[in-house]
Amino acid sequence: MADYILVVEDLWKFYGREAVLKNVSFTVRRGETKVIIGPSGAGKSTLLRCINLLVKPDRGRIILDGDIITGRKDVHSIRSQIGFVFQHFNLFNHLTAIDNVLLGLVKVKKLPREEAMRKAEEALLSVGITEDLWRKYPVQLSGGQQQRVAIARAIAMDPKIILFDEPTSALDPELIWEVLNVMERLSRNGMTMIVVTHELGFAVKVAHEVMFMDGGTIVERGSPEQILLSPKNERIRRFMERMWYLYSLDIQSRAV
Amino acid sequence: MLQGIFYILNNHGYSILLGLRYTIIITTASYIIGLTLGTIIALLRIYSNRWVRIALTVFVEVIRGTPMIVQLFFVYYALPELGILLDPVTASIIAISINSSVYQSEYIRSSISSIPYSQFESALSIGLTRFRTIWIVILPQAIRIAIPALANEAIYLFKYSSIAYFVTAPELMYIGKSIGSRTFLYLEVYVVLAFIYIVTSIVLTELVKIIERKYSIPGLIKSRL
Repeated sequence: MADYILVVEDLWKFYGREAVLKNVSFTVRRGETKVIIGPSGAGKSTLLRCINLLVKPDRGRIILDGDIITGRKDVHSIRSQIGFVFQHFNLFNHLTAIDNVLLGLVKVKKLPREEAMRKAEEALLSVGITEDLWRKYPVQLSGGQQQRVAIARAIAMDPKIILFDEPTSALDPELIWEVLNVMERLSRNGMTMIVVTHELGFAVKVAHEVMFMDGGTIVERGSPEQILLSPKNERIRRFMERMWYLYSLDIQSRAV
Repeated sequence: MLQGIFYILNNHGYSILLGLRYTIIITTASYIIGLTLGTIIALLRIYSNRWVRIALTVFVEVIRGTPMIVQLFFVYYALPELGILLDPVTASIIAISINSSVYQSEYIRSSISSIPYSQFESALSIGLTRFRTIWIVILPQAIRIAIPALANEAIYLFKYSSIAYFVTAPELMYIGKSIGSRTFLYLEVYVVLAFIYIVTSIVLTELVKIIERKYSIPGLIKSRL
């Protein structure tokens, strides 16, 4: 049990009478990278937001590192243990890159200034944001740089897990690479991550397991090769065919 | 006329300065109290529960829907009947602050609404509480956006603090009127007063530009006065 850093059991979420999450259950091992793919409206973002309690699930349990976190009062301390990287970066616009990273360390973790500074610098360097960019404001950075600062902001808090919500969907193709590269390195260094993405190359290379979501449930899960190249489910098969077409690859030839 | 102006400055310069002092006191106090109350009203109207919101909406509409002079007379002439006796300066500060708070709350409220919810969400996601998110992430951005409107309010208050004249607070207008009725140099007196109001307004305007530049942040809505 201790091997699992995250356990999600029978999670449900309703918006009005419509269920956006239905009976979602899965586990994440320490150091595992899990990729979630699926069409828009499948409930992927809602699932991530439920895990760090930005959205309150209506039924089910979430267990983080042995603690049941659903229904707890201290949501803030739980959120500080879970990193979240948004599609649109969501850096604090009135703060410089380094202050964005420092905020959580100083105001939430209450680290002394010097230690916070050291951690922030370390986190920024680890995502390739060099010193000349530390004093820049978010709009003065490229999308890729902003997203890397956002990843640094999450890393610096020493989270138990980082959730990525389509981290490259708002980026130019050229910049996608630099962000995926950082994420891949993060995964190789043993960070536990759940990544919602359409980057199939990333999924094949980095994911330990891929889950396909549709209509609020996990339709199929398995190794990247199995889900991306030879899914059992017809719905997934069609989805994947279109995705591979986007990448100009033939699913049949890849499957061999 | 120039002679008259010099005469007034020579003989009544000191009382004019005293009047200016009260004008500045009334303006500054009203502005600061108004800004504080206004911020609180704005935050409560956005983030608190339904009943508080309704109560404050009614309050804002009542104050916005009545002339400032009615509010001033209410505080100075009507409250004593309820046993609350106030001196003219205090009464003016109270009435003008309340009036101003309502307008300032609207400026701040609209600038808070212009900040995307994603800023709120990302602050929560690193573990900040709702209150600290508002204080550390939302307000600093909102106030910056509101600077031009808030500055206008300061200049407006400086001029409209002259309304305190009606309850005999010894500010510029009141002093001017009393000098006028003693010397009969009405034209000269009011030229002097107008000059003081204009110069102060220009100085305030320039000051605001400096503040704006000092606190401007690349990417946050560029604003002009």
